[in-house]
Amino acid sequence: MIPTHTLRAVIYGLLIFFSVLTLIPFAYLVAGALKTKYDFAATLFLPSGDGFLGIGWDRLTLRNFGALLFDFPVPRAMLNSFFYSAVHAVGATLLCAMGGYGLTKLHFPGRSLITGVVLLSLIIPGPLLLAPSFQLLYQLGLLDRYAGLILPGLTPAFGVFLFRQAMLRGVPDELVEAARIDGAGEIRIFLELALPLVRPMIGAFLLISFLGAWNNFIGPQIILQSPELQPLSVALNNLRGVYGTDYGLIMAGTLVSIAPVMCLFLLLQREFISGLTAGAVKG
Amino acid sequence: MSSPLLPPLSLTLPDLPAGALAFIGLAAIAVLGVLASPAARALLRRVLSPGAAIILLIAVAASVGVALIQPKPPVGLPFWVFADVHYRVYSSIAADWTRRHPDHPVHVLQLTNPALERRMLSGFLAGTPVADIIAAERPVAAKAFVGPLEDVGFVDVTDRLRAEGLLENILPNSLTPWTTRGRIFGLPLDVHPVLLAYRSDLVEAAGIDVTQVETWEDYFRLLRPLQQDLDGDGRPDRWLLNLWDTSGDLVLMLLDQAGGGLFDARDHPQLNAPRNAEVLAQIVTWVAGPGRVCADVDLFSASGHRQRLDGVVIGTLMPDWMCGLWKQEIPGLAGKVKLMPLPAWERGGRRTSVWRGGTMLGISKRAGDPEGAWGFARHLAMSTELAADLYRQTGILPPNRALWSLPVFDEPDPYFSGQPIGRIFLGVADDVPVRSSSPFAMAAQSYLGNALVNLRGWADATGTYDRPALRTEAQRLLDAAQRQLEREIGRNTFLADAP
Amino acid sequence: MKRNRIYHSRVAPWIFVGPFVVSFGLFTLWPLLQSLVLAFQQTFGPATTRWVGLRNFEYLIGDPLFWQALGNTAQFTLGSLFIQLPVALGLALLLNRPGIRGRGLYRLTFFAPSLVGLPFVAILFGPIFEKRTGLLNAGLHWLTGGAWNPEFAWMQNYVMSSLILAALWMYAGFNMVYFLAALQNVSKELLEAATIDGCNAWQRFRHVVIPEIRPVGGFVVLLSVIGSFQMFELSYILLNNSGGPDNRGLTVVMYLYQTGFLTGDLGYASAIGWVLALLLMGIALLQRHLNRKYEDN
Repeated sequence: MIPTHTLRAVIYGLLIFFSVLTLIPFAYLVAGALKTKYDFAATLFLPSGDGFLGIGWDRLTLRNFGALLFDFPVPRAMLNSFFYSAVHAVGATLLCAMGGYGLTKLHFPGRSLITGVVLLSLIIPGPLLLAPSFQLLYQLGLLDRYAGLILPGLTPAFGVFLFRQAMLRGVPDELVEAARIDGAGEIRIFLELALPLVRPMIGAFLLISFLGAWNNFIGPQIILQSPELQPLSVALNNLRGVYGTDYGLIMAGTLVSIAPVMCLFLLLQREFISGLTAGAVKG
Repeated sequence: MSSPLLPPLSLTLPDLPAGALAFIGLAAIAVLGVLASPAARALLRRVLSPGAAIILLIAVAASVGVALIQPKPPVGLPFWVFADVHYRVYSSIAADWTRRHPDHPVHVLQLTNPALERRMLSGFLAGTPVADIIAAERPVAAKAFVGPLEDVGFVDVTDRLRAEGLLENILPNSLTPWTTRGRIFGLPLDVHPVLLAYRSDLVEAAGIDVTQVETWEDYFRLLRPLQQDLDGDGRPDRWLLNLWDTSGDLVLMLLDQAGGGLFDARDHPQLNAPRNAEVLAQIVTWVAGPGRVCADVDLFSASGHRQRLDGVVIGTLMPDWMCGLWKQEIPGLAGKVKLMPLPAWERGGRRTSVWRGGTMLGISKRAGDPEGAWGFARHLAMSTELAADLYRQTGILPPNRALWSLPVFDEPDPYFSGQPIGRIFLGVADDVPVRSSSPFAMAAQSYLGNALVNLRGWADATGTYDRPALRTEAQRLLDAAQRQLEREIGRNTFLADAP
Repeated sequence: MKRNRIYHSRVAPWIFVGPFVVSFGLFTLWPLLQSLVLAFQQTFGPATTRWVGLRNFEYLIGDPLFWQALGNTAQFTLGSLFIQLPVALGLALLLNRPGIRGRGLYRLTFFAPSLVGLPFVAILFGPIFEKRTGLLNAGLHWLTGGAWNPEFAWMQNYVMSSLILAALWMYAGFNMVYFLAALQNVSKELLEAATIDGCNAWQRFRHVVIPEIRPVGGFVVLLSVIGSFQMFELSYILLNNSGGPDNRGLTVVMYLYQTGFLTGDLGYASAIGWVLALLLMGIALLQRHLNRKYEDN
């Protein structure tokens, strides 16, 4: 038997080792954001110089962030990203929760058909739909509109699937029946009974869909034309010139783009994880 | 042509401002309602965790923000460009033009190349909104040349060019990429001749005289002493030429220089031309095996720029426009580089090549103001101040010979150790090889590049680095590539109709 | 009461499911049907179409690029399964040990990369994989005292391995979360009973832990397979929208995108998409079948 304290040391050693490996790209990102494009490739992390620890502290710069703020349409893109992601998240969560409730707690002809179609469509490769969707949005007059980006994403099959799982597990049929016998309407049962019971999934799915929309790249790239409407993912990629890229600027932009998501995650961590894992149980 | 089986849907939704306002109105009512009623507040607390409530708040706040800060709709003919150098130069020109021609204002919009390509094609093919003027790079423009001549989405400018007297002034080889079946569909913006940039500081310090170099063989023989291991790890850190089996654009420049290339004069693919096999075999002896003299340094990344500055490679094939890029991205090389004609493949051979890209100004057939668009495009092609400006900022030389006598091209360039680089590039402009307008150029380049990668792999696997054996294998790989490319082209039932 | 019952059975379901059905039908099923029609056509952009019957599928069967793309994608998927998932499980096992201090912090650290979106990960890893100056090559060259060849060609000769590495960084922590949740549900009594019966750590893991986390494991495997088979952004951005040298980085979805949007042949692209969709459905069914079989035993 291995002595316990040796084992503990090994475990902590491994944890710290993997943490460092995980954090290195982040350190690289932060250091890159603080360097000019000329220093970017000269040193891996902080520029060398004759300051403390042999590091050229004076060569670090916040100019990349200033440039993002004043010279590029990044503030507008940030507002757009918040708008798309949050509105998409709220809308998708509401519709998927309603769909999940309807598919588990209400009986109607076609229910199993709809459920089957939803489960099957979980494995549709998204790009398969790119071309026909583009055509459809054009016919609906939704190209280059906020609505063109938000409406098609409001009913992800994955969301209905997650809420179906959550409702199956978290909302006992007996409770729903009892409420019905008490004369409660379906909308009231949904709002006051079902939703509070799947509260973790609501938080989780809000964040999942927020993240999905925030990191969506292909969608806005195809649907939106005007730079005033573009979100961060596209605006940032536009900073990568065809024949030359200011990596300091790009790294600063990437940092700015992932910071809000990280903050939201910190707030919703517990629900996010419990919501994610709820989908993993067979149903 | 058969129509799609499923009929198109046609619905219209209310305009964005109305829709957004309605949404915000509803959101505001909901928020007020929730705040007013204790029951609703309690329910909200039971349904939403604090984090979730924050997302809801963001949704409301961002909606209000988006509704209040409405973007101003751009005024003027939309003009799409893909490169930031174009954007910088053209947006100031467009602003100037708009001041002087208030009835034909121009609005420049920068898109990434894939986005531009997609929007251009769906504009031409599906009728989605498309810019009046498009700066299209060669592979992108060529996509519009598939299919019947009358279906090309760009305006045929052949007769306008002739009427303006531009046709005889423009270098013929600058027109070929935009010409299909004898008709010209865009105003050429460039010649893109290629020279060799080399680290004059290192070469001169070693006492090497580059005027002795006439062929590639001379180049590698004379410069060989410069290839050194500088950090003592047993591997050279300084190489003679920036070239690799994976650097497709550079390989293509060498093939074009040698008289091989992807297409013959009638735009038929000729991947398996014996000349191509010969060049590929030679390239493999340069990048692999005991005789390796080349290194792979990215042409456009920050890390590549750093390595050029550190002298990892001595020589780089250099199209005109890349001079502007170097000045901007690698200011540290100022005074340390010079240009020389490309070493030839044989004595007396061609001393230049051509960059595979190149840009044209095309006018959409669906342009709202075709006259205004043409006027602006013509201005870009003929204006002397613009040619001088474009050259100073980007290094790009005009295809219009009438502009070649401008004194700006004779100015010594301090970045290139005082050489008048404009004049040097113009000196080889007449020898620039032809570029094709085939829509399969990218596919052909990819097949050829794969053949080279496989040839190198074969050489490394078998330890074969002698040229005759490599040439036989190269020919075999290129024959296979040619067959595949022909198969891919044959699948296109639309091109089969084309004359 | 009667009115109420009708309301319950007829109207109410559609209030809940209606918006979803309309939106799902319009924005998912309708384009899906269109793509099915497209798969039997050749198009030049969306407007010009021509009926070609099964020609697209015939061409696809003899298309070396498609098979290469499928091979690459399979390689990426297997890499995800056999490298990423064991790492994820290993991390979960480490974190699941009782009495680990700062568990939340470690979990957050491992999970953080998956919050960085794919477009951003691809942008970040571009300079990491560079020759000589890249973080990996320069770092390893320095760590090994010059023994590591700084010209190691990550994105040229080892494209799929590099992508697997980037995906490992990004998703190992994400999958760890699933395994951790499953491990925390493993019954303590069962473990104690096993210990009393004289099982060693490996036997406990093999005979108690593994069966308990198997359902979650199956779900994670399925999710990884589906996700890996649809991999697109990583190679799209890291390889600048090309297949990479000798198409070593070409994935099925990227090939679909290239044929559909770069050569304008939405018909062939749809055919590729449908073959992929059928393949994924096959894998999902196979997984279900194996699951059932296991449970029956």
